[in-house]
Amino acid sequence: MRGPSTAGALAIVGAVVVLGSAAAPARADGELTMRGVYYKERSTRVIQPMLDGKGTVGDNGEVDGHLLVDAITSASVAAGAAGEAFSEKRLQFGGGYLHRVMDRFRLGASGRWSREPDYDSWFVGARGDVALADDNTVIGVAGGYGHDLITSNAPNMRSGGFEGELTTKLGSVSVSQLVSPRLVIGATYDLIYLAGVQHSPYRSVRVDGVLMPEAHPRTRLRHAAAASARWSGPGETTFIASHRVYDDDWGILGLTPEVRIVKEVDAGLEVGLRYRFHWQRAADFYQDEYAPDDQLRSDDVKISGFTTHTLGFKLAVYGRALGLPERMAEWRGEVIFEYVDQNNRFGNAGIAHAALSVPFEY
Amino acid sequence: MPPVSRLSLCFILVTIVATTALGACARVRPYQRGTLSKRSMTADVDAGERRFGQHQTGSREGADGGTGEPGGGCGCN
Repeated sequence: MRGPSTAGALAIVGAVVVLGSAAAPARADGELTMRGVYYKERSTRVIQPMLDGKGTVGDNGEVDGHLLVDAITSASVAAGAAGEAFSEKRLQFGGGYLHRVMDRFRLGASGRWSREPDYDSWFVGARGDVALADDNTVIGVAGGYGHDLITSNAPNMRSGGFEGELTTKLGSVSVSQLVSPRLVIGATYDLIYLAGVQHSPYRSVRVDGVLMPEAHPRTRLRHAAAASARWSGPGETTFIASHRVYDDDWGILGLTPEVRIVKEVDAGLEVGLRYRFHWQRAADFYQDEYAPDDQLRSDDVKISGFTTHTLGFKLAVYGRALGLPERMAEWRGEVIFEYVDQNNRFGNAGIAHAALSVPFEY
Repeated sequence: MPPVSRLSLCFILVTIVATTALGACARVRPYQRGTLSKRSMTADVDAGERRFGQHQTGSREGADGGTGEPGGGCGCN
């Protein structure tokens, strides 16, 4: 089964926006955010401009949409033929609509579509949540289905072209709970089932001095459970802590704690600090060297065992801090710098964001 | 399809029990929620930053997920 065409995907997003707008009142609130991201590691550079929009629809609806371009330049073995630099662009857009029903329930749907020269992907999802105990508790469920199509006739392919498919099924439950006027906690559990091509047709594995194509299992069942807490402390400072546990039937186990601190320094000025740690155990079949009779082979760094440390800094400034008048006072500018220390073949990485959010009425 | 792993199950049970127990301790009234409605208490990370972060970790870590959304969507296998 092939993914929808560009026109089809545009029609889906357009329909969501039009249906949502049909019930729009004379005035509603929205926000448009322009963001640019620069990512650099040893052999890969990504520049990603993106546009996000969201707005209210009627008294009970919320609509959102996004458009982005990934411009990737890489000499990574993980992404292309050994040592050969390549550049490509990926286009993605998506949108969603969420509707409040009887004050207590919210129901929504979303979709996204992505295309690059050798990879098409789409995903559609639905979600719902219910607020209980005077809105102190919110329980949510979500589900979705995605389809990826990989086609490649690149000259660096070792044996002609390649075509494969991958389907993704997602089920998710979440709960959030107000604990005090300053503390909220939450948890999410995701179950994801993948079926189809999960190796890279570009990568090879050396077996007894001979390069062989990768061979990964065709199916994968992934579990990820995350818990988080947000506490508003003294001095207009918010502390956010989360922890995620992951494991799957390939034998990968991951532990990912994270802390963030957001400090309102002055009216209209916020500073944020972030630290994230990630540890993972390698997949059962991942080895440095393979024997001729090994049925599963991989050179994918992502499924090896490694640790990463991410340090981040964020500065956000509102227009009011700069003396801008009226609605421009609510404009929000943001810069983010992150450094990722990872002890694997990818090497360390640096990330920079710059963003401007502009609220508007319509 | 294999059952939910023991580790995930333990983590989920502990989280649910803790959430329920803490939630039973107190009920926050609507007029007490001014602090809880601050941006940093609801969504200190906006949609574009979150999406890029998920995409970046999804293409660099084999232990993706836990966000209620799928990763992938690119040829980063």
